[in-house]
Amino acid sequence: MQDKDKTRRKVLIGLTSAVGISGLPFAATPFIAAWNPSAKAKAAGAPVKLDVSKMMYGQQIQVAWRKQPVFIVRHTKESIANLKLNLPKLADPNSDEIIEPYKGMNPSRSKSPEYSVFSGVCSHLGCAPKYYPEVEPKPWDATWNGGFFCPCHGSMFDIVGRVFKGVPAPTNLTVPPHMFEGTILTIGEDKEL
Amino acid sequence: MTSLQSTKINILRTFYVLAALFCINFVYSAEGGPCKDYGECDEFKYSLNDIESLQRGVSTYINYCYGCHSLQYSRWGRVAEDLQIPEEIFFENLVFDKSIKPGDLMIGAMPKDSENWFGVTPPDLTLVSRYKGDDWIYSYLRAYYEDSSKQYGVNNLVYPGTAMPNVLLSLQGNQRLVCKNIPILAKNGGQKRDQSGNPITKEKCGFLEVEEGTGKLSKEEFDSLIYDLTNFLVYVGEPIKATRERIGWYVVFYFLIFTALSSLLYREYHKDYN
Amino acid sequence: MFGIASKLFSWVNDRLPIVNTFERHLSKHPVPSKVNFWYLFGALAAVTLIIQIVTGIWLIMPYSNTEEQAFSSIEYIMRDVDYGWVIRYMHTTGASLFFAVVYLHMFRGLLYGSYQKPKELVWIFGCTIYLAMMAEGFLGYVLPYGQMSYWGAQVIISLFGAIPYIGESLELWVRGDYYISGITVSRFFALHVVALPLILIALVFLHLVALHEVGAGNPEGVDIEEHLDDDGVPLDSVPFFPYKVLNAMVAIGVFGVVFSIIMFFFPEGGGYFIEMANFEKANPLVTPDHIAPVWYYAPFYTMLRAIPDPLGGLIVMASAVAIFFIVPWLDRSKVASIRYKGIYSKIAITLFGVSFLTLGYLGTVGVTEVRKTMSVICTVIYFAYFLLMPIYTKYEKTKEVPERL
Repeated sequence: MQDKDKTRRKVLIGLTSAVGISGLPFAATPFIAAWNPSAKAKAAGAPVKLDVSKMMYGQQIQVAWRKQPVFIVRHTKESIANLKLNLPKLADPNSDEIIEPYKGMNPSRSKSPEYSVFSGVCSHLGCAPKYYPEVEPKPWDATWNGGFFCPCHGSMFDIVGRVFKGVPAPTNLTVPPHMFEGTILTIGEDKEL
Repeated sequence: MTSLQSTKINILRTFYVLAALFCINFVYSAEGGPCKDYGECDEFKYSLNDIESLQRGVSTYINYCYGCHSLQYSRWGRVAEDLQIPEEIFFENLVFDKSIKPGDLMIGAMPKDSENWFGVTPPDLTLVSRYKGDDWIYSYLRAYYEDSSKQYGVNNLVYPGTAMPNVLLSLQGNQRLVCKNIPILAKNGGQKRDQSGNPITKEKCGFLEVEEGTGKLSKEEFDSLIYDLTNFLVYVGEPIKATRERIGWYVVFYFLIFTALSSLLYREYHKDYN
Repeated sequence: MFGIASKLFSWVNDRLPIVNTFERHLSKHPVPSKVNFWYLFGALAAVTLIIQIVTGIWLIMPYSNTEEQAFSSIEYIMRDVDYGWVIRYMHTTGASLFFAVVYLHMFRGLLYGSYQKPKELVWIFGCTIYLAMMAEGFLGYVLPYGQMSYWGAQVIISLFGAIPYIGESLELWVRGDYYISGITVSRFFALHVVALPLILIALVFLHLVALHEVGAGNPEGVDIEEHLDDDGVPLDSVPFFPYKVLNAMVAIGVFGVVFSIIMFFFPEGGGYFIEMANFEKANPLVTPDHIAPVWYYAPFYTMLRAIPDPLGGLIVMASAVAIFFIVPWLDRSKVASIRYKGIYSKIAITLFGVSFLTLGYLGTVGVTEVRKTMSVICTVIYFAYFLLMPIYTKYEKTKEVPERL
C-alpha cells in the first residue's frame, strides 16, 4: 500500500472515530438528565409560605420544605444578646466552613434580625436536634445558654444553629434561601438572590 | 454482474417498495373522513413557533374552555414558560384561583358539577389534538349551526349530536345550514349555460352561513381565533413538539456525517480484498 | 503500571478464554467477502435490541403499572421527566423498526436459503426470536393502557377464548380479572420487562453461537469452507474486524438517519407506530370506531379476520407463524440462493412478498366485501408458498452454482 493511501486511511479513521465519539455525550444526555428531579418532584418541592407574626417570642416551630424539617425560631432580645456568651464554645461562629447565603447580615443568620431559619437536619448523621431554650444547667452541658441538642449522638448547636466544638456534628446547620414579605416568610425562594 | 448494474437493480427495488408504500398510504387516506357530515376536515397547519398565536390561544382556552375542560397533564408554570409569558402577568390575568402555584397541574375548575349539566363529564383536553387530530378540532369548533331540536339549540356537522353547547356563539354569531344555487360545470370545466346565456344552477344544501351582524367577530376574525385555540391545543398535546423538531435536524445531520465518513472508510478498506 | 495491568490481564486470561473468544467470534471471525445489503439487517437488529433494552430500563423507572396511573405515567414521562420524551419515542420507534429490520432479515433468509443445511438451527432459533418478539411487542403495547392497548389486548386475549373447553377459563386466568385491569397490566409488565427480555437475550445468544459454528452465508449460496488457505481460513472470507464492522457502521449510520427522522419528526408514524386512539385512556365501556393492530401484526390479523370461525382463524394465524419453523425441510432445492433457483421459486417468492404486504395493508383498514375476498386470496398464496415449496423447488431447473465467491 502506498503512503498516500495510508495517510488517507489514518485521517479517515481519525475523523470517523472523532465524529463517533463526539456523539456519545449527546446520546448519554437524555439518560443522565432523566434522573434529575422531574417537574412533579419540583412542584412538590416548591417554596413554602407561612405567616410568622403569630409566633411567640422564644418559640420554635418546624415546617417541612422538600419533605425536610426546617426550624424557625423567633428570638427575644435577651436571647440575641446571649448569643455572645456561647462564642467560645462554637466551632465555626462565622459560618466559614459552609455556604452561608446571608453571611454577616444579622446575628440570627437569616434575613430578619428577629427570626432564624435553618435546616432541622443535624449535619452529623441526619437526626433532628431538639430545642432547649432555657438558660440552665443541662445533663449534657452545665453552662447551657439555650440552643439545640441532638438526642442521637449528643451534638449541640446554639439558638441560631451554629455547631459547638467537640461534638460529632462537623458543621453549622444550613440556612435555606428565604425571604420575608412583611410577616410572610417564604422558604425555598429569594427573589433578591 | 457489475456493481453498477447491481446498484441499478437495488435502486429499482427500493423504488418499487416506496411506490407500494405510497399506494397503500394513498388508498388509506381516501377513506371516509372523521369529520362526518362536514365532509373532509379543513386542513390545519400548526405553527408552534408563532408564540403570539399560542398566547392568544391559551387566553381563549382559559376564558372559554377551562371552566369545564381541564388540562390535567399540563402544569401552569410550564405553559407560562413555553409561551414566554412572564409568570406575574400570566398568573395575574389567566389564573383565577390565587392558591395555585406554578408547578400545579391544570386539573380544571369544576368537573364534578358539570356532569349533571351536560349529561356527560366534559373530557380532559390535554391530549385531544393527539387522539382527535388538529384538523378535526379546527373543523369541529367552526361547524356549529342552529338546530332548535337540540337541547342547546345548536348541533354540529362534525360531531352530530354533540353534548357541548356553542360557547363561542356570541363571538361567531348565529350560524345556519343553508341551501345555495351552485353553477353546474360542463365536462370541459366551463359553466353550463341555458339558451339565453345564464348559467344553469342546481340547489345544494348543507352549507354553513353566519347571519350577518349577530356575532362580535367577523368570519376571518373568528377563524383566526379558532386557529390560535387549535394551535394551543396542539402545543399542549405535546409541549416538546417544537423543540423535538429542532433537535431532530441536528441528529439527522449528525448521522448523515457519520454515514458519509464511515462509508468512505469502508470503501478504503474494501480495496484490500478487491 | 502497564506491567501490572498486563500481568492481571494474563492472570485472568489463563482462567477465562478472553483472547480466544474475542478472536474466534469477533476480531478474526471469517465472514464471506462478498455480501450485499441484505446481510446487514442482522447487525441492525442487534443494535435495535440494545436500544430497546437500555431505553426500556429507563422507562421502567418513571412508569407506573397500576390501572389508575399507567396512562398518566406515560404523560408524566412525556412532560415532567427531563428528556423522558426522547427515551419513550426511542422505545416506540425502536419497537417498530425492530420488526421492520427483523422482517427484512427473515426475507433475506427466504431469498438466499439461509435455513438450508447445516443452518437449520440458526433458522429455528431465529424463528423463536421472532415469536418471542411478537409476544414482547404485544405485552409492551398494553402497558400505556390507552384505548388501543385495551381493545387490542381484548381482541388478542379473546383468541384464547376460542380454544375449545378451556377457552373461557383460560381467558379469565390470563387477565386475572373480569376485564383487562391493573392486575392484567402489572403481570404483562413483569413479563415484558423481565421474563421475555431474558428469553430474547438467551435466544439471540444461541442464534449467534449456532451461526458462528456453521458460518455465515452469502447471496451466491457458495460454501466458502470448500476452499481454505494454508491456515485453514476460507479463501473467500475476510476477518470480521475491520471489514464487517465497517460495513455495519455504514448500515448503522443509514439506520440512524431513518431512526431519527421517524423519532423526531414522525414519532406516531402516521398512526401506524403509535395509534391515535392510544392517546385516550382505556375505557372498557367505549370501543373506538376502528380497531387496527400495530402494523407489524397486521398481516396475521388479516388472516384471523379472513376466517369466519374464531377457532379456525386462530389456527390459521398460529400456523402462519409456525410454518416458518419447518421451512428448512420444505425446501428441496439443490441450491440455496434465489439467484440460482428456477423460475418457479422466483415467481413464488414474489407472490409471497406481494401477498404479505397486501395482508399487512388489509389489516390496517376496515373490512369490505372486496377486501375480505382479497384477504382470503392472499392467505391462500401465503400458505401455498410454503406448502408447495417441496414440489416447485424439487422439479424446477436450477442454474449451476460457481465454485468460488
